[in-house]
Amino acid sequence: MKHITKIYGNGVLANDDMSLDLNESEILAVVGENGAGKSTIMKILYGLEQPTAGEIILRGEKKCFRTPQDAMKSGIGMVQQNFMLLPPFTVAENVVYGNEPRKNHLLFDRTKAQKEVDELSRRYGLAIDSSLIVQDCPVGLQQRCEILKVLYQNADIIIFDEPSAVLTPQEVDGLLETLRNLAKVGKSIILITHKLNEVMAVSDRCVVMRSGKHIATVKTSETNTKELSAMMVGREISDASIQPVSTGKTVLDVEHLVMHGEAGKPILKDCSLHVEEGEIVGIAGVSGNGQTELLHTITGLMHAESGSIKLNGKEIFGNDVRSIREAGCAYVPEDRNTMGCALKASLSETMLMAHQDEKEFNHNGILQHGKVTEKFNELLQEYDVKYSSLQQEAGELSGGNLQKLIVAREMSHNAKLLIISEPTRGVDIGAMEFIHNQVLAQRDAGAAVLLVSSDLSELLKLSDRVYVMYDGQINGELTRAETTSQKVGMLMMGGTLDE
Amino acid sequence: MNKIKESLLKLWNVLWRPLIAIILGLIVGAVVILIVGYNPISIYATMFQKSFFTVYYLLQSLTRSVPIIVCSLSVIAAWRAGYINLGAEGQMILGGFAATVVAVYMPGPVFLVMIAAILSGMVAGAAYALFAAFIYDKFNVSIVISTLMMNYIANYITTYFITFPLRDPSNSIAIQTREIPVAMHLPRIISNKPFNIGFFIALGLVFLMMFIVSSTKFGYESKMTGLNPVFAQYGGVKKSKVMYSTMALSGAIAACAGMLEIFGVKFRFSEGMFTSTSYAWTGLMAGLISALHPVGAFFSSIFLAGMQVGGQSIQLSTGIPVQVATLIQSTIMLFVSVHLFANFKKRRKKKDVVNLKKAGDK
Amino acid sequence: MDTNFVLTVINSALRSTTPIILAALASAICTRAGVFNVALEGQMLIGSFVGIAVNWFTHSALLSVLAAVAAGGLVGALVAVLQVKYNAADMVVGTSVNLLISALTALLLFIIWGVKGSIKDPSLVSLPKVSLPVISKIPYVSTLFNNLSPLDYLAYVIAIVLYIYLFKTVNGYHMLSVGVKREAAESMGISAIRTRIAAVIISGCLCGFGGVALSMGQVTLFTENMTAGRGYIGMAACNLGQNNPIIIILASIFFGFCDAFASTMQNSIPSQLTQSVPYIATIIALIVFGYRSKQKMKKAVKRGVA
Repeated sequence: MKHITKIYGNGVLANDDMSLDLNESEILAVVGENGAGKSTIMKILYGLEQPTAGEIILRGEKKCFRTPQDAMKSGIGMVQQNFMLLPPFTVAENVVYGNEPRKNHLLFDRTKAQKEVDELSRRYGLAIDSSLIVQDCPVGLQQRCEILKVLYQNADIIIFDEPSAVLTPQEVDGLLETLRNLAKVGKSIILITHKLNEVMAVSDRCVVMRSGKHIATVKTSETNTKELSAMMVGREISDASIQPVSTGKTVLDVEHLVMHGEAGKPILKDCSLHVEEGEIVGIAGVSGNGQTELLHTITGLMHAESGSIKLNGKEIFGNDVRSIREAGCAYVPEDRNTMGCALKASLSETMLMAHQDEKEFNHNGILQHGKVTEKFNELLQEYDVKYSSLQQEAGELSGGNLQKLIVAREMSHNAKLLIISEPTRGVDIGAMEFIHNQVLAQRDAGAAVLLVSSDLSELLKLSDRVYVMYDGQINGELTRAETTSQKVGMLMMGGTLDE
Repeated sequence: MNKIKESLLKLWNVLWRPLIAIILGLIVGAVVILIVGYNPISIYATMFQKSFFTVYYLLQSLTRSVPIIVCSLSVIAAWRAGYINLGAEGQMILGGFAATVVAVYMPGPVFLVMIAAILSGMVAGAAYALFAAFIYDKFNVSIVISTLMMNYIANYITTYFITFPLRDPSNSIAIQTREIPVAMHLPRIISNKPFNIGFFIALGLVFLMMFIVSSTKFGYESKMTGLNPVFAQYGGVKKSKVMYSTMALSGAIAACAGMLEIFGVKFRFSEGMFTSTSYAWTGLMAGLISALHPVGAFFSSIFLAGMQVGGQSIQLSTGIPVQVATLIQSTIMLFVSVHLFANFKKRRKKKDVVNLKKAGDK
Repeated sequence: MDTNFVLTVINSALRSTTPIILAALASAICTRAGVFNVALEGQMLIGSFVGIAVNWFTHSALLSVLAAVAAGGLVGALVAVLQVKYNAADMVVGTSVNLLISALTALLLFIIWGVKGSIKDPSLVSLPKVSLPVISKIPYVSTLFNNLSPLDYLAYVIAIVLYIYLFKTVNGYHMLSVGVKREAAESMGISAIRTRIAAVIISGCLCGFGGVALSMGQVTLFTENMTAGRGYIGMAACNLGQNNPIIIILASIFFGFCDAFASTMQNSIPSQLTQSVPYIATIIALIVFGYRSKQKMKKAVKRGVA
């Protein structure tokens, strides 16, 4: 058994003197929470980043990867979360991209490419029709195409960065099977994940990271999920003693929403849920199961085909964004940069959005700058946002501060229905706590809060009730008392509570 | 003292880039002048003297700047919201034409006819721009292409009308309409010079635009739509409302440019009056050089107008075509476009340095 | 209607089509690589001018054409550097270049010949007319192919070559990929910037070619702003042709027809009106195309749901 060893350590904020090693034919899981530094260390290995200190030793040789091409030449490949595929082209064309088989030096031999890719997929047991067009393929097949691409480059070491994040449960099974097969034929796999059940299912060894540091390297057979999660989190998940304050009055009532997307693909299949005054309702689920579309439909950014959405008893199905906002809905969007703000707009302008019709700021169409400045300065201080002037550009604020600004803007509506998606994505710990407290404060003041988050611990901490979304439907509903990670996890994977 | 220094520094930060662009543009022009066989320095000296530094030429420059200023405002109105309206020329032609026809042929008391003329002009310009917006909304026809095509269409069709049915019978050579009634001429400031109150109307429009842009909900919503349409939609701004209203405003303003030229200077609609003088394109340049700011556009327009006036007098004395002015102007615009983004890159690099430092500090 | 008359119109249309096809192909290659190049008009105009200028000095049709192509490529290079390398705003660069070339050519007209407006001279060599061996003997068909220059034939050849390049070669695949998803291309080591610069320079050469076809094709002269919006009509043809060189040929012929039709109607309808026909036709064509695209989308969605 050849020993493939890689040792490195570096001391930048992301990775703090981190070392790990990988053997041939093994699956090494790298686990940790969001922000633990897992992606960073893999980016270094793949040549996307340079270490500040430390080294990489591949098969006894010291290596330095300045670009992904360098890494690829040394046999390292990476399957990233955002696929680097060309949607309008076929699987075969995508897999051979960069190293296309040629006819007469100039022409692209597409027939040969298809043959080679079919052969490749057979060899590794990754069944796929190489003539399919990528954008017509489900995500699982697209990922398979991405894997084939890496294999076509003759990678011996393959890094998978959170591969199951975008897959359905069946597809995840397929993926795990693929990982096992690849290891069997001699590939070395690094699996970055925060899903402990996957770790237990396929990995040989597991490296736990927390806050950029190496916590432990264990043999998977010698540990269990409880131990691993304890090491990952490093502390007891505080049992927040949050008392329910719901009055029982329904604010948001969604019934039987149905929506289809391109080519008739069903996105929402008969979705129903409700949110009451004074409660936080969370929607758990692997991203891509319809949560974004559900929120966009409720807020008016998208339109479903049938169903009913009532806000405080009034039907708002099919209404436009403005009237829904006026009916009492505020929305902190999933992506603050593409939807939550205009990066080149001033802070003042960013905060004015959805407030520009308020009588305080708008007298017959004319904006009252004095009032605007006064109120917004107050608001930003209240929400502890670090900024130098209301005239600076929104893009100049740090992620956490921009998020706090957006939260401040939306919460200042004191809307009856507050919808929040990914409230603390990419936000530092301090801002995270602050935002959580604000959400709880809104709830205590009587708002109905609908919360979507891919951070399960955040979701479980804040929610009074949890719906789980799977494949465009509400798969299950749990109250705070009933909720355990196992139950939620089961539902997220498509199972049912009776299993 | 420090505050003055601070604000001077801020001013310098804003000005030095366009200034370098201007210098570079002038160098390019100098090369061309040299090739023709003249001394660039003396030519430039004459040009500047004959554009701003004598009363006669100053007034000419200011008069010429009027349609340019207003066209730049038209460009600003649409481009700020992200709608690339290149049809200011066509909208100006149509608006000016409509107003002239009403002024010449509609019977009635002067005051009423004048109002009708102005309204017709603005409606014509707005409708023309709205058509482009409509076919973009319903049929996804690129506004860039449609407005450009419509410039040519407006020019040819109005030329047809003034060549045949609506031609001025009193003049057998010139292709033009009859003159508008004297009572509708815009009052002149100095009796025998074309400089008229139109300049102050244009200035008023600049203030109006400044106000709209900075202090109205409409200006706010159109700016946000231009900066990030997804963000605007998320905030409840109605995309089609913004598109139709900004395009209509843009067309109406362009029409005003045409009307000011006709009612203030030429008193009739004649062939090529807007195309040969390229008011619309100069206005576009002024708008772009000043990064779509009304005040900047005002000064840029006057500067560009002065260059054209200077260029014309050079053409008279040396024969060097007036296009040398356009050459310099478009070179300036090219250099400005690069500078705007070289600036952006510098800021990006600064940010990275700052972030690295932060990371290092732990 | 006299058959001969119709054939003459078609023949005239074919000659009008050449500059438009080339402009449309130029637009296509830029769009495919992911660049919005608005400077087509200027790239064409410089070709028209340089063609005539070199013609004056060398009396060689071949050198004129080559010089025009080179000139177009140079302007393309300018656009490429500013827009692709330095990320300057596409509308600003494109519009400035168009205005600049318009002014520059007018100035050069004065500098070289001391005239304003246009230059026409008997000493200028016109493009050789191709006389097809067999076809020129057939009575009606010969009218169709009458008086076409090599450029007119080459335009179609170039279209086919471009099609083969984009859709059959590896290099072309890389260029398409840059326009589809830039990061995917860069992740495999393909430089998006270099590919785009190449695309823009090629578009410049194509436009230069179209420009000289205009100034030396049917007539041999240069007039200020003689391209008269053909660069933009080319963009429209590219749009209609869905960025596909073969379909672009059809779309361009349509516009060529409108041009020719306008010219033939000049005897009965005032020229001021007929001159507006190509531009009106462009808008109508884009509207119809847009309408049908939307219908197709609606049908596809319906099918999916049902």
